[in-house]
Amino acid sequence: MRAQMATHSDSSMFDWLRYRHLLWSLTWRDIRVRYKQSLLGVAWAILMPLSMMMVFTFVFTRAIQASSLMAVDMPYALFAYTGLVPWTFFSMSLMGCVNSLVANRNLVTKVYFPREVFPLSCVASGLVDFGIAMSVLVALMGYFHMTGEWEFVLHPSLLFVPVIVLVQVLFTIGLGMLLGMANLFYRDVRQIAGVGVQLLMFVSAVVVPVPKDDSILSLILSLNPLVPLIGAYRDCIVYGHLPAAGGFLYACATAMVFFVCGWMIFRRASYRFAECI
Amino acid sequence: MGDEVVRFSRVSKRFRLGAGHDSLRDILAAGIRKLSGRRSRGRRKPTVRALTDVDFSIQRGEALGIIGPNGAGKSTALKILAGIIRPDYGEVQVHGRLAALIEVGAGFHGDLTGRENVYLNGAILGMTRAEVRRKLDDIVAFAGLEKFLDTPVKRYSSGMYARLGFSIAAHVDPDVLLVDEVLSVGDAVFRLRCMDRMNELVRNGTTLILVSHNLDQMQSVCDRAIVLDQGRMAFDGPSQSAVAHYMQAMSKTYMSHRGDLTGGGQVSKDVELKNLSFYDGGNRGVVWMRSGHKLTAKVKFTLARSVPKLVVELNMRAMVSENLVSINSGRDGITIQAGAGEQEIELTIPGLPVRGGQYFWNVRMWNGDSGEMLCDSPFRYPLCIDDGGRATGILCLDHEWSVVRSKSTISIPKPHANLSDDVKMREGEHENMPVR
Repeated sequence: MRAQMATHSDSSMFDWLRYRHLLWSLTWRDIRVRYKQSLLGVAWAILMPLSMMMVFTFVFTRAIQASSLMAVDMPYALFAYTGLVPWTFFSMSLMGCVNSLVANRNLVTKVYFPREVFPLSCVASGLVDFGIAMSVLVALMGYFHMTGEWEFVLHPSLLFVPVIVLVQVLFTIGLGMLLGMANLFYRDVRQIAGVGVQLLMFVSAVVVPVPKDDSILSLILSLNPLVPLIGAYRDCIVYGHLPAAGGFLYACATAMVFFVCGWMIFRRASYRFAECI
Repeated sequence: MGDEVVRFSRVSKRFRLGAGHDSLRDILAAGIRKLSGRRSRGRRKPTVRALTDVDFSIQRGEALGIIGPNGAGKSTALKILAGIIRPDYGEVQVHGRLAALIEVGAGFHGDLTGRENVYLNGAILGMTRAEVRRKLDDIVAFAGLEKFLDTPVKRYSSGMYARLGFSIAAHVDPDVLLVDEVLSVGDAVFRLRCMDRMNELVRNGTTLILVSHNLDQMQSVCDRAIVLDQGRMAFDGPSQSAVAHYMQAMSKTYMSHRGDLTGGGQVSKDVELKNLSFYDGGNRGVVWMRSGHKLTAKVKFTLARSVPKLVVELNMRAMVSENLVSINSGRDGITIQAGAGEQEIELTIPGLPVRGGQYFWNVRMWNGDSGEMLCDSPFRYPLCIDDGGRATGILCLDHEWSVVRSKSTISIPKPHANLSDDVKMREGEHENMPVR
């Protein structure tokens, strides 16, 4: 039997590392439960962004001819899919985090382990879906290559994608911890976050490019770190070059700030969770 | 032995009453008030003391019981030990791995199968996957759920659910195991197995902390117990004495507010029931007693007019709606000639051989001539009975064991001085035919 000293007053920032088995178990539970009792199972990880891509492709290229799409120099379906896959990862993980503490109320009030495990497992299970959906991107690019609409080249810049994923993960964890914690104290947060995420989608260059002009609105929108982040995926996968340093470093810095602040505040508040939930 | 595993030093905890926090609307309103320069009325939220200055420590391999009436702070103490909530003052130290079974199957997911839930719950309680894999067969066999391992737990009965939950926790092999009031689940056989398992863990060096309302169970597992009363430590010592102390404390609580348990009450204006009180063999007023001891019940009442033939009946129930004891003066052929004014009637029972627990009494009176009912009180007079944790049936009878056909002898533990019935032994009288 291990004999470690566990004084409750000085649990460290890396407490959760001892509970990594639990992190895997909860992640696995989330994935397992999400696709249990569904006919298509894990296929939904692919079908979700794929069907959304089809919806947006239909809306923006058939139903209405959006003028801002003139700037898109690749098949629109590809543009939408490269945006939707990271976006789905972001929005699903974030909403998972927002709900995670309240949804696991039973565990929060009845068992002790570092509460960070909840948001972390939400992001981890989102990452699994992300991986599956990403693999479909290869097939999609192959399809456009064959139809001749676009030339598929395997760029070395693909190797940079894990870095982008890491930045996105840090940003999602930080923001998710803050919102999940806030939702525990005020359930309004979940509703607000739901609407906010919907709105954010249309200003994050997911399905439509962000309009660029000199208005105040445009300036505010340019503060959104998701724009350079999602742009970076397209740069590396579709265009085959590294993202522009300025925008990407801004995204990195924002992600770090959210991650560090989110984690620290979460840690400091976590001992009150069981009482306030 | 001899090393301290858990140290709970001068721990205090308060909880806020009412809503745990303000709603967002309140915060916004307060913010606006502040901005507009008006001072918000500084009303402080009422708080309740859950624990006050509780201080104890536990040595390795010790089994400690925590008992006390509802709201005494037992669960709060356990949650603080488990690290789920943090004390306002004081410090808690736990050396070694701690597993808390505060609710059976907390963290079970209904859609997952029994097997999947064993892995998940094992991880929640701090086991690695490899550990769970190694112990899976034991866990499942202990719970007796081999056939249902691949069924989603949402299809389990509540007993199966609880059995699996306890079984996982019982196989974590923690240094310290916290168990909160979970043994009330499952059937009698499973409860016994749980007790055996806990005893086994303690023998193997696990430190056990058990919160229970079931005093019999607590006594059979724990040598030592603390009594919490309104958040304070009322007693710390051998569990037998702790139970006695607890009963006394319970009695006081009952004395101060006697809740009506069933309807009834005054039937006739002619009788005013003052009190039903209990006395032990030494004629001391008691609200708890040892099973099998002499008991005297005194009924005090006032009659507005004389009743030449009064019939008095005393009934005792456990928490079920059926009388366990019903003693009626009329059926006994006793004629009570009662004049107007204050009356007192005594009923003496040489021994009340029921198993330990809480019982409630009521009083009924009739006019024997007219058959008119004069009084039918609610079951609101409590009597706690302690059998020292020896009986699990309804009765706790005087008994005697003897070995008739064996060379082996029975060794009996030194009987507790406060237990009434003597377990006598006659050692192998007929030694001619050993069984084996």
